[in-house]
Amino acid sequence: MSIAESETTRFPPRRIGSLLKNRAFLTFLIVVLVWIVAGFAKPGFGSFGHLRYLLELAAVIGLVAIGQTFVVISGGIDLSVGAIVTVSAVGVPLAADLGDPTGTVPVLIILAAATGIGFLNGLGVALLRVHPMIMTLAMATFLQGVLILVAGGSAVSTQNPLLHWFGNARPLGVPAAVYLWVVVSALTLLVLHATPFGARIFALGANPLASALSGVNTRRTTMAVYAIGGLSAGLAGVLLLGMNGQGYVGIGDPYLLASIAAVVLGGTSILGGSGTYAGTIPGAILLVTITALITVVNASPGWRSILFGSLILALLLFSGREARNR
Amino acid sequence: MPAPIIEARGVSKSFFGNPVLRDVSIALAPGRIHALLGENGAGKSTLINLLSGALVPDSGTIEIDGKPHASLTPAEARRAGVAVVQQELSLTSQLSIAENIGLGAYPRRLGLIDYGTLAERARAVCDMVGLDEDLARPVGDLPLGRRQMVEIAKALFRNPRVLILDEPTSSLSAHEVETLTALLDKLREAGTAILYISHRLNEVMRLCEYVTVLKDGVVTADQSLAGTDADGLVRLMVGRDPGDLFPPWTPTPETETIVSVAGFSSGPLSDIDLEIRRGEVLGIGGLVGQGQEDLLLGLYGALPASARSASFGGVSGVPSSVPKANALGLAYVPADRKREGLHLIHTIAWNMMLPQFGRARGLSLRNRSQERALARDLADHLGIKGDLTRQVQALSGGNQQKVALAKWMPSDPSILLLNDPTRGVDVETKREIYILLRRFASEGKAVVLSSSDTPELVHLCDRVAVMREGRIAAMLARDEISEEAIVASAMGAEAARAAA
Repeated sequence: MSIAESETTRFPPRRIGSLLKNRAFLTFLIVVLVWIVAGFAKPGFGSFGHLRYLLELAAVIGLVAIGQTFVVISGGIDLSVGAIVTVSAVGVPLAADLGDPTGTVPVLIILAAATGIGFLNGLGVALLRVHPMIMTLAMATFLQGVLILVAGGSAVSTQNPLLHWFGNARPLGVPAAVYLWVVVSALTLLVLHATPFGARIFALGANPLASALSGVNTRRTTMAVYAIGGLSAGLAGVLLLGMNGQGYVGIGDPYLLASIAAVVLGGTSILGGSGTYAGTIPGAILLVTITALITVVNASPGWRSILFGSLILALLLFSGREARNR
Repeated sequence: MPAPIIEARGVSKSFFGNPVLRDVSIALAPGRIHALLGENGAGKSTLINLLSGALVPDSGTIEIDGKPHASLTPAEARRAGVAVVQQELSLTSQLSIAENIGLGAYPRRLGLIDYGTLAERARAVCDMVGLDEDLARPVGDLPLGRRQMVEIAKALFRNPRVLILDEPTSSLSAHEVETLTALLDKLREAGTAILYISHRLNEVMRLCEYVTVLKDGVVTADQSLAGTDADGLVRLMVGRDPGDLFPPWTPTPETETIVSVAGFSSGPLSDIDLEIRRGEVLGIGGLVGQGQEDLLLGLYGALPASARSASFGGVSGVPSSVPKANALGLAYVPADRKREGLHLIHTIAWNMMLPQFGRARGLSLRNRSQERALARDLADHLGIKGDLTRQVQALSGGNQQKVALAKWMPSDPSILLLNDPTRGVDVETKREIYILLRRFASEGKAVVLSSSDTPELVHLCDRVAVMREGRIAAMLARDEISEEAIVASAMGAEAARAAA
């Protein structure tokens, strides 16, 4: 039959032959090729400083896309991640610090709040049976309203030492944000592919009815998945605040499309049930690379946006087409 | 014999290097019901697809009225009057019965669908198949058996000269099978060529006069059915003596009750009293859609249910969720294994492990080598051959069903609920499943077997509960079980007699 293993992305791949059919690995190859070509074509692109900068940008997208990967594999979608990023970036200066000089307490409070928002998404999807698109879109709109009431139109800045370190420190020449991304990515891959909980997420996305009849607690799994979505967007938000030094309404907006694009570029099925975060990682790097290349083209912001959208579509046609036989 | 309407001559077909059909010839003559037999994976569906133009043979030709077509298209086949009733239902559930029946061949007036004529013509074919439902009802509202009848009506709507039926009776009740049999007899007399595929040999014996048997893609018999009995047919299919389809077993003496419910209601069910005993296979029979599935799902915690009193292995109350039912030792094997039982895009081994994933608590790690060993064990135990890292959808129907059963074994359930587990499963696998169920019962566990295949209930069960309109119409003890008794209770014959 035509339903060979190539169409379900698995990680880690078993053989060299299957490696070349592995979507995660292919996306990684594309990134390397683009970097090499761009490095020769444009002086300065391939410099260590520039590539390091790209990775740092990719880390934020990569963090948001962790939750998106979980949610998409489970058969849903999270349209509230952009708003949660903004809430977290704007929220840290507003949270009580309880006299903590390191700034850890407000960060933990905000991460807990972000997780709670994600959990509410899950509650709506699992218990009230609201469609994920509607539930998370409504949540995003709600959060935007709260933000305008709380923060108004002005930017908030922070002197949080913990976030400042994560946003700017470069131990051994590598940005702290990249270290954070590596550690969290390893945890993500472990949870997805090496725990029964991860297997339940794949089960839920591939066939919710059969999962329920096989004894999978589908409600609990759904709520956990959206809570992870909230947590990872929150993590990205506080990191973004540390890198920028200030937060403002709208700071998280670009990360909605970026997170979904990274997930799909990485070979995770938008229909749920199959995929891996190992593909999302090069997916995120590919996205920031494209953005960087577009800025090279001397075009007005409008045309840049059009170019970016077209390129993402073209890439998806090339690599992200869904398997037909499902 | 009159000249055949459609004929395949020496057709071969392979998929990705695997030969599925080799040099197969078959001729469908007008006014004859032709049986096509073979185990799952023998190539029956592929042959149908070649005859209907859905696939093109690698070599050989399809001839229609003596005219060869090297590459027959579905449109050409349709125009020539070939209609297929597929095993996998192809209806659109949101559309009405009439719209489904006419789909693709709507009568038109001024470029618009002529609903008046459509309704008239749809009514006519529905009367032929005994469908008395309102034609404006969406097909999704109908139970499986009625949907199958709509599918047959849809084929008749085109006035076919060649009618191909792929397991039309697998979801039909005894009554509906009778209607279909009468209908096919009428079509035969009218000169239609009929190709009939079924795993139910008694139907084949009764209906068909000619048989083609496929085994591993090769024709092993092409002969008249006269003078052949059911055993002979099985011999032709499996290439050896069939033995007895049902394993021998001794009835279980009255033993301890493991589940008892009184005043149980769930969905359309009301006020059901039921006892399930250790060591028995309790059959559940009746016409299709009388609440059998609701009963199983209600007991399994998958549908909201209530009871005046209930005890599951000593624990009182009906389980309120599937995980709770699993914890009480219940396991469920669904009827529609593709939709409810398996994760088709995942591997065989993964599917076997799923209940373990569901049971695990917290963030424990998976033990891959243990998983592999366990999956290998289960596969060996149930005779599932080959690479277990293949997607489960690559398996034949019978083997898929084995996976759906195998996945519960590591949990060691004490009550196994099965919903039509042998539907669309080949004879050999059926026998293996029967042996498994009896062995399971003999270990002091309980099996509840809902089945639309009456011989199964007669030959395998200690007791049979016959359901009608959401109630248990009769509870037959071992010495009362017979096909006649089950059908009579299912149809309410006894009630009618008592009232008279």
